[in-house]
Amino acid sequence: MATTIKSEFERIRNTEVWRTIFRSGSGSSNLHRSQAVQQNIFLHLFSVKVRSRALEFSPTWYLGALTLSTFFILIATGILLMFYYHPSVPQAYADMKDLQFVVASGVFLRNLHRWSAHAMVFLVFAHMFKVFYRGAYRPPRQFNWVIGVFLLLITLLLSYTGYLLPWDQLAFWAVTVGSNIAKAVPLMGKQIRFLMLGGNEVNANALLRFYVLHCVILPLAAILLVGVHFWRIRKDGGLYVPEKKQL
Amino acid sequence: MTDGPKMKPELKMQAEVQSDVRKNPRRIAFILRRSSPYVKAQDDGRVMTYPTALARFIIALEVAFVLLVWISLLANAPLEGIADPMHTPNPAKAPWYFLGLQELLHYFPPMVAGVLVPGLVVGALIVIPYFNINIEGESLWARDRKRRLMIVGVALVLFCIFLLVFDVIVALVPTILIGGLMLWSARFSPESPKLFHRWLASKPLSFWIMSWFLVELTILTVVGTFFRGPGWSWVLPWQS
Amino acid sequence: MSDVKTQVQETPVGATAKDEKCKDCGRREFFAKVGMGSLAVAAAGAGLFSYEFFSPNVLFEAPPIVKAGKPDEFPQGSVTLDPKSAIYIINGNKGFYALSAICTHLGCLTAWKPELDLIACPCHGSRFNRDGVKVAGPAPEPLPWLKTWLAEDGNLMVDRSTTLKEPEYVKV
Repeated sequence: MATTIKSEFERIRNTEVWRTIFRSGSGSSNLHRSQAVQQNIFLHLFSVKVRSRALEFSPTWYLGALTLSTFFILIATGILLMFYYHPSVPQAYADMKDLQFVVASGVFLRNLHRWSAHAMVFLVFAHMFKVFYRGAYRPPRQFNWVIGVFLLLITLLLSYTGYLLPWDQLAFWAVTVGSNIAKAVPLMGKQIRFLMLGGNEVNANALLRFYVLHCVILPLAAILLVGVHFWRIRKDGGLYVPEKKQL
Repeated sequence: MTDGPKMKPELKMQAEVQSDVRKNPRRIAFILRRSSPYVKAQDDGRVMTYPTALARFIIALEVAFVLLVWISLLANAPLEGIADPMHTPNPAKAPWYFLGLQELLHYFPPMVAGVLVPGLVVGALIVIPYFNINIEGESLWARDRKRRLMIVGVALVLFCIFLLVFDVIVALVPTILIGGLMLWSARFSPESPKLFHRWLASKPLSFWIMSWFLVELTILTVVGTFFRGPGWSWVLPWQS
Repeated sequence: MSDVKTQVQETPVGATAKDEKCKDCGRREFFAKVGMGSLAVAAAGAGLFSYEFFSPNVLFEAPPIVKAGKPDEFPQGSVTLDPKSAIYIINGNKGFYALSAICTHLGCLTAWKPELDLIACPCHGSRFNRDGVKVAGPAPEPLPWLKTWLAEDGNLMVDRSTTLKEPEYVKV
């Protein structure tokens, strides 16, 4: 049975149509495997080979991979949640209640989105500290560290903008406090707050602005920087793994 | 990395049987000095990204997914009453990752806690890889031990007094903890008999600062999350 | 830009950008400057345009002047919070006055605690007395006094957009 499936899969991989999509074909030589990476728009960000030390658990704890995993989950659940969400006052809150009690699997998707967001913030911080203690920010990887800092900021901004969207008490007052922190910026604090909220108080305009930031601008920025972040790993000579040394 | 000469079928067979690069070197690209990634010669083994590394990533994805699905099935995301500008909940708490900041806002004016401190933290994080002192990773006490000991000691005392003046006991405790460890580590050298002592002695300044930041962040967040009640007063988590 | 630079470097030995032999260079440099300058102007214009675009011109927010009620609704010595307009009406010894109820720290709505005789903020623990003066906590400023007057129909009126520098009392 297993061999039938395998040979059938092999046959599909050798069809002309499949070969137009994945040019590397069905072989399992290193050449084929290299081509499978090089000729794929997403995988070609990575190098064809990696040091086997870099795949061990101890240097990275897989924190980067886990962060990316939560980001994937967030994109998938976020898009699904958008189908049942209106960014308007007070409909936004009613939509939360609908997700909880009316929409099939709505409460599960909302839970998954919220908990993954918490997990992602935690993992991004953990990833940063792990990279620091491993010394992986050193040349030639300086700029990738800087991109990482910006990704941390984008992650926090994504959480913050997402926090307002349910339009509940927690959301409202967290954003009231947050927007007043912006007011403390010297010279142009008031203008920044006005632009951020689209008015003088946290209201429908603010909700819409945060919605656009949360669903369009910040995710696009994050995807872009994540792409550069991975590409830089290859360009900087692969994941940094300290040599095993005795103290 | 483009393929070189067109391969004949029998050559292809050979590639499948013997694909160890170091045994059968084949030139597949010229690496020019200017365009090559900066890699020191290393003698460790390598594996293919596809499928080995990719499989590892997919396992990581599955582990994360399974864990989060379980959490989502067991615990509901919080949802309070509809937003009401006429009533501030008491205490009004931000999500946990901002509670360290909110704890700071309790002590300092918003200009300091909300703008200056986060700005400085982000700035400090960005410049880490651009300081030679961080890159060399030389032990803090390797040179100029006496002078450095004095500078660090004075800076620590001044900072502690500053925290005391603003009554920030929460931030003072980790500062004394890490600062004390740092000063204590000056007693040891790379020749100390105990491994832990040698480890302490080998640490550069950036290690101490980052560790202080990590402990500070953790403690402020934990205090903000579990030890703050109505009116941001001190409560014990099992009391409420 | 980089093209221009390359061209400059490839001129014969001894010729620099400012050299009279290099007649083309001045012209090229000029056009490069014009190009960069117009880009800078366009960027500044785009910035201004964005600022204008993102600042709403019409807002549907509550008007600043509110009718607080008849003076006899507030007993002598009372501090009354009107949560809808976020103001306190205080009937003190010297007369009526109004305070903003929005904490000067980070904008939380404060509450009157009669048992403490204080106004307390739930967010970061600031406390004020009934004159708006800060007693404890991180608030940088006292609660502002708001312009208050007695309208012809006998209602107390408060203008939330006008703060008073000196205490003023409305006598009834």
